Amino acid sequence: MSKKVLIKELAYVRSGDKGDISNVGIMAFNKENYEVLRKQVTPQKVKDHYKELVKGEVKIYEMPNIDSLQVVMYKALGGGATSTLRFDETGKAMCLGMLFMQVEVPDGFKPVRPPM
Amino acid sequence: MKKIRIGAGSGYAPSKTGEALRLVREGNINYICFDQLAELTMSILSKNQQKDPTKGYLTGHIEGMKQILPEAHKRGVKIITNGGGVNPEAAADQILKIAADNNIKGLKVAVIKGDNIAGRIDELLEKGWKFTNLETGEDDVSKIKDNILIANAYIGSDSIIAALEAGADVVVAGRCSDSALFVAPIMHEFGWKFEDVYWPRIGAAITIGHTLECADFVTGVASPVWEHVPKPDEIVYPLAEVSEDGTAILEMPSSGGGLLNEWTVKSQLVYEVHDPKNYIMPDGVADMTAVKVEDLGNNRVKLSNMTGKRRPDTLKVIIGYPGGFIAEVMNYISAPKALTKARRVEEIGWKNLAKYGMKREDVDVQIDYIGINSILKSIVPTPDEDEINEIGLRIAARGKNPLEAGLIAVSFLDMSPVGFTVSVPSKPRSYISLWPTLIPREEVPTSFIMKRLE
Repeated sequence: MSKKVLIKELAYVRSGDKGDISNVGIMAFNKENYEVLRKQVTPQKVKDHYKELVKGEVKIYEMPNIDSLQVVMYKALGGGATSTLRFDETGKAMCLGMLFMQVEVPDGFKPVRPPM
Repeated sequence: MKKIRIGAGSGYAPSKTGEALRLVREGNINYICFDQLAELTMSILSKNQQKDPTKGYLTGHIEGMKQILPEAHKRGVKIITNGGGVNPEAAADQILKIAADNNIKGLKVAVIKGDNIAGRIDELLEKGWKFTNLETGEDDVSKIKDNILIANAYIGSDSIIAALEAGADVVVAGRCSDSALFVAPIMHEFGWKFEDVYWPRIGAAITIGHTLECADFVTGVASPVWEHVPKPDEIVYPLAEVSEDGTAILEMPSSGGGLLNEWTVKSQLVYEVHDPKNYIMPDGVADMTAVKVEDLGNNRVKLSNMTGKRRPDTLKVIIGYPGGFIAEVMNYISAPKALTKARRVEEIGWKNLAKYGMKREDVDVQIDYIGINSILKSIVPTPDEDEINEIGLRIAARGKNPLEAGLIAVSFLDMSPVGFTVSVPSKPRSYISLWPTLIPREEVPTSFIMKRLE
């Protein structure tokens, strides 16, 4: 059996921009969380989650050295900081959307407290 | 083992002169490096220079040198900045003037040249180079080339190193890469060259530069652990003590606020890096999947096991050109039934647009319900209407000219059936579009000129 938790129970996040590309770094609280995220945060899942904001492809890279994922989203910022119509011109808040994504964990899974 | 201490004097503009000063006074540093440029900055600066040929650099930053230069000079701290923008020579002249006013004799200020490639586009097109847009894949740069504002290559640290070798006390660059500001003093001090044996260590230098280049972004700004950042009004800028073996310890002055730990450093390691195995910079390709992050406590974090590969044969270029106009209007709507009313206003707006002969699918418009979904859209759940006190309904539209953009936006200012507070629409503003592309490295020779105050 499994249950669903939000990524905010598992990781910290931070995002930035280059042109119309948004990147979200997901920093897992520990190795166990990292494994959950590594398996379940897929490009298609991210694309579905951000469907109103991200119009291009999504790539995900692994950074096992710091238990982190790098999510790179194309055509993601309404044209990029210089020309976008969005408030979040540089996509600094794009990462916060990731905190609301659900992943599945085993029933007995007890989320650790955030390290800070 | 030889060690050098490098501080970050800024990470973006505007920056805090006081924090740069604190680093100079308390950081026991050898170099202070200032990154002042975002992707848009060069285009804005070029507009400033069009109005006044003696401008085009970061004026606030250079003004800050009135305080920083005398303190840095007294302690033998060298200054490296890309705050020269599109006119580093004028910035250097201002710095020399500050030196003269402070009776600093013999100061050597180097100006880095070569990043501006705007005048060479035609020549390279004739040679057969295509300035393919890296984001859209478009091949035809000719459609924008007659009205470009700027075209600058992100140059590396070659000429900064050469200037340091020639004894520069201050180096003023334009569009060098952010990390080059830090890579240059590291390579200069340790005698590293752009040769096979050094690529792993240059990868380390790029990684260290990346952790410092946004300044307070690694000491508590824009941090996922923001609630735990002490004295957030006094967040200090960081420094790195870099060892010749290619490791570093990140530190910060102890007198102010801020936080430097495992999580603030990881936040910066993931920040604006795409493929982390191949973080491509003009000086080399860093592998961020190798670095080991060790929290030493007391706002000290060790970076080790960093590596990298040979530098690329091409450099990134950003071309800025006029994009069009953006118009924006705001309607403020109060409870009761704020959401229902806001939706009604939007609906009327679409009908007004149709009356003006514009089709919904043809207009470039964004509608935000501020307080509900203006940042994350439906990723965040919509609250019950009873819980909503007020909504800001904001309409932003792009058009080819101010009239077109304005007409779309004001279509949504129709208060008759609902009743709400409107602000006077602001004048449509022009915006700049960017065309990111590549250029062969050998087509971008860089150099420096040394200016000296006798």
